[in-house]
Amino acid sequence: MTNSINEIEHSQVILVSGSNTVKTHPQVARRIFDAVDSGASLIVIDPRRSPLARHADVHLSIRSGSDIPLLNGMMRVILDENLADDAFVEMRTENYHALRDMLYRLDMDEIVALTGVSLDKISRAAKLYARAQNSVVCYCLGITQHICGTDNVQAIANLAMLTGNVEKENTGVDPLRGQNNVQGACDMGALPGVFPGYQSVADPEVRHRFERAWQVSLPKTAGLTVTEMTHAASDNPIKGMFVMGENPMLSDPALGLVRESFANLEFLAVADIFLSETAAVADVVFPAATFAEKEGTFTNTERRVQLVRQAIAPVGESRSDLDIITALSEKLGYPMPYASAAEVMEEIALLTPIYAGIFYDRLAPWGLQWPCFDREHGGTPFLHKYNFARGKGRFVPTSHKPPSEPTDAEYPFVLITGRSYHQYHTGTMSRKTPVFNRECPEGLLEIHPLDAKTYNIRAREMVRLSSRRGSIKVKVTLTKTVNPGSLFTTFHFAEAAVNELTVAARDPQAKCPELKVCAAKIEKLET
Amino acid sequence: MKTISKVLKKDHLKSLLRKLAKDRQLVAPVRNSYGDTLFTEIEALDGVEIDLDNQAQSSLKSFLFPQQQVLFEYSTDQGSAPVYKAIDSDGPTVFFGLRSCDLAAILYMDVIFLKEVKDPYYRQKRENNILISIGCNEPFSNCFCRQTKSGPFMEYGFDLQLTDLGDRFFVETGRAQGEEIIQQWAHFFSPASKEDEKAQYQMRLEAQGNFKRQVLVDLAIRKLKDDLVPEEVWSKLSSRCQDCGGCAYICPTCTCFTINDRKISTDSGERIRTWDACTFAGFTTMAGGHNPVDMKQNRMKRRFMHKLYYDVKSHNRTSCVGCGRCVDMCFGGVDIIKFINMVGQGEI
Repeated sequence: MTNSINEIEHSQVILVSGSNTVKTHPQVARRIFDAVDSGASLIVIDPRRSPLARHADVHLSIRSGSDIPLLNGMMRVILDENLADDAFVEMRTENYHALRDMLYRLDMDEIVALTGVSLDKISRAAKLYARAQNSVVCYCLGITQHICGTDNVQAIANLAMLTGNVEKENTGVDPLRGQNNVQGACDMGALPGVFPGYQSVADPEVRHRFERAWQVSLPKTAGLTVTEMTHAASDNPIKGMFVMGENPMLSDPALGLVRESFANLEFLAVADIFLSETAAVADVVFPAATFAEKEGTFTNTERRVQLVRQAIAPVGESRSDLDIITALSEKLGYPMPYASAAEVMEEIALLTPIYAGIFYDRLAPWGLQWPCFDREHGGTPFLHKYNFARGKGRFVPTSHKPPSEPTDAEYPFVLITGRSYHQYHTGTMSRKTPVFNRECPEGLLEIHPLDAKTYNIRAREMVRLSSRRGSIKVKVTLTKTVNPGSLFTTFHFAEAAVNELTVAARDPQAKCPELKVCAAKIEKLET
Repeated sequence: MKTISKVLKKDHLKSLLRKLAKDRQLVAPVRNSYGDTLFTEIEALDGVEIDLDNQAQSSLKSFLFPQQQVLFEYSTDQGSAPVYKAIDSDGPTVFFGLRSCDLAAILYMDVIFLKEVKDPYYRQKRENNILISIGCNEPFSNCFCRQTKSGPFMEYGFDLQLTDLGDRFFVETGRAQGEEIIQQWAHFFSPASKEDEKAQYQMRLEAQGNFKRQVLVDLAIRKLKDDLVPEEVWSKLSSRCQDCGGCAYICPTCTCFTINDRKISTDSGERIRTWDACTFAGFTTMAGGHNPVDMKQNRMKRRFMHKLYYDVKSHNRTSCVGCGRCVDMCFGGVDIIKFINMVGQGEI
C-alpha cells in the first residue's frame, strides 16, 4: 500500500476494485465503513454484488476480466470533463501524450459492450473519483489474478497519476495484501528476480554486496516463479523442492498439472504446522512452529514491520522456521550461526536500504513502516511524497486483453474463485477449528436463480461443475450476488477443489495465474 | 445489612492486596508492556502496575466462564467403557478493581448459571470469590451504565466497594465477607469521618453527570416492547455485520456456549466447552442445512432483542450493562450504542 490503513478513514472517495474487502480484509473494511459514515463516497468495481458493493454509491458490475476498458473509459471521461490534474501530470509524470492519444482513440460504445457497464455509471464513477481532493484506490486479487494483471495495475496507476491522487496523505494506490506476512516475504526477496528490498539480481553492484556478505557467488539471472515450477509437469527442470508454509497441491491453479509436477520431483521437503495436502506427498516433513511459538517479525499490508514475540515453547518436535533453515543449512555445509531472529534483522538492515533503520529494539510496541533509512528515521506512513521510486511516474497506455479462455456453447459460464470469511486459504489451520467448520463447512457454488431455473437446479443441490481440465461435485446456493452467466466458489476445500478446473494461463510479466476467469459448465447429477 | 464505612489510604492498598492474596488467587486490572489494560491473574504484586485509570479491555467473564474450558477428559482402554476424569477445582479468588458494570455482569451471569440450572463448572469458579469493586467517578468514553442501571456505583453485590477520594479510598461493605476483611485487617482501615462521607456522596452525585455519551436506553426498550422498530434499522445495521462474533465474545454478559469433543490420542480425548455467539449462522443451523434464524438481520435482531427486551421481560433488567466494550470491538460499526440511539431517536 502507498498509504497507511488508517488513512483510508479520511479519504473522500474510495474506489475498491477486485476486492471482497468485508470478507477478506475486515480491518480495512472497517475503515471504509468509517469513511462512508463521515460522508465519503464509495465506488466498487466487482462482477459480484459483494457485501461492500451493497454500500457503494456506484457499483460497476463488470464482466470478469474487463478492468482495463473500464479504467480507460473512466480516464476518457476525466479528459472529456477536464478533470485531469494538469500540474501533477506536468511536474511528476512522463509519457502522458501516449496515454492521451490512446484515450482519445477509444470507442466508448465498445467499452460499454466489453464491460457490460452503462456509460452513465462509468461517467459517474469517473467524476466522483476525479473531483475529490483525496481519492484512494484499494485493489486486490480481482485485479492481479488475470492474464493481464500487470496491465490492470498499470491502468490503475495511470488513473491515479492522471488525477494526482498519489503524493498526499489519505490518497494513493493500495494493493491489499492477504497473509500476515506476504508483504514481508516479498520484501525479503522471496521473488525470483530480486534480493531483499527489491534489489535486482542483475545489478552487479547489488550482487557484489550480497556476495561479500554471504561469501558465495550468486546468480545474475532471475529464477522461476511458483507456478512456473508447479506447472512444469514432465518438463520440470526442478528436481528437488523445499516448500515452507504453502499448500500448492490445493491453492495453485490447474491442479492436474501441479500433481504431475510434484510427481516428477526427485525429492520434496515440506515444512508446515499441519500435514497439508502437499506435505502428505513429501519425502521429508519438518514440523514447523506456529506464530505463538517463535520470535520474529511480520510485515503487513501497510509496510509495517511488527514484532512477534514467543508466547509458548514449541510444542512437541516442532521448531521455528529460522531453526529449521539454519539446521538444514548447516547440514548442507553452510553454517548460519545466528543466535536470534534479532541478529538476522541486523543483517537485513545492513544489506537492505529500505530496512536500514529497522532494528528489534525499535519495534515495540507498534513497529515501523518501511522505507526506514536509518536509526533516526521514523518510518514512512505514505509513499511517493516528493517523487516516485524511479523518478517520474511513467504513463503506459494499456489495452484490453480478453481472458485466456472465453466461454462457448459447451462451457457457457464464467467461473470466478475467491474466499469466504470463516475459512482461510486451503484450510490448513481454519478447517481444524470447530466453530469455523460449523460456520462454513463446505464449498458452495453461487449461481443466479435464473440460471438455476434454466438447469432445473434447486438450492443446496449437489451438481457437477466442470471445465476443460477437470470436474468436481459441489453444492449449489442460489443468490443474486452473481450475475446471470457467472458462477462463484471458494478454493478452501480439498473435497471440492475448484483449482482442478482453473486455467494455467498466467500474466506474462508477473506470472500471476488467471484464477478469476475460466469457462465452466454445470450438470445435474443423476440420482 | 447495614453497611460499614471505612477509609483506606491509597499507600496501603498494595499491602492489603498482598495480605488478601496470601491464601487466594488475585485478579486485577494490570497494564501490560503494550499499554493494554487487562484483568490479569497476579502471581507477584511487585513490579506489577495495577491500573485503575483506564477501563480494562476485557471483562471478568473469562475467569468465571473461560473461553475454552475442559469439562472432562475421557479414555478407553482397548474396548472397555470410557473412564471419565473430572477436572480439579480452583481455589478462592479475590477480584479487585472491577467496575460497577463488571459487577452487574457477574450478578447477571449468576442468574443464568446458578438460578434454575445450576452449572457446576461455573459454580466451582464462582464460589469463594471476594469482589472488591471501585465506583466510577469519571466514566470512560463509551460508558452508559447509568442508563442500563448498572452504575456508576452499585448498591449491592460487592464485598467491598471503593470510592476514589484522591489520596484515600472510601470503603463500603456489601456482604458479610467484606465485613470479615475489615475485621481481620482492621489496622488497614480507619473510620470514615463526616467529611469523608460527604465527599463520597458528592462524588457519586457528580459521577452521574460525567457521562460523555447520551444513550437512550429506556426509549429503545419501550420501542422494542411496542414493536416500533422498522425492519430498515435491522437490515441497515446487519448489512455491515461481518460475522466475527467479537461483540458476543467481548460482552461481559454473553454466556452462550457450544460443546466439542477433542481427540487427544486414539483412545483418549476431552470434552471442551467454548464461547459461542448467536450472531453466527451455525448457532441455529440444523442438520440438513435449514436455519430457522436464517438472515443476518434476524440474527442481529435476536441479539439486540435479547440484551434489551427479552431479559427485561424475564429478569426485569437489561443484560447490557453499559460497559461500552463492544463499541470499539465492532469492525462494522454496528455497536449497541448506535442501535439504541437509532431506535431511540427514530433516526432512519
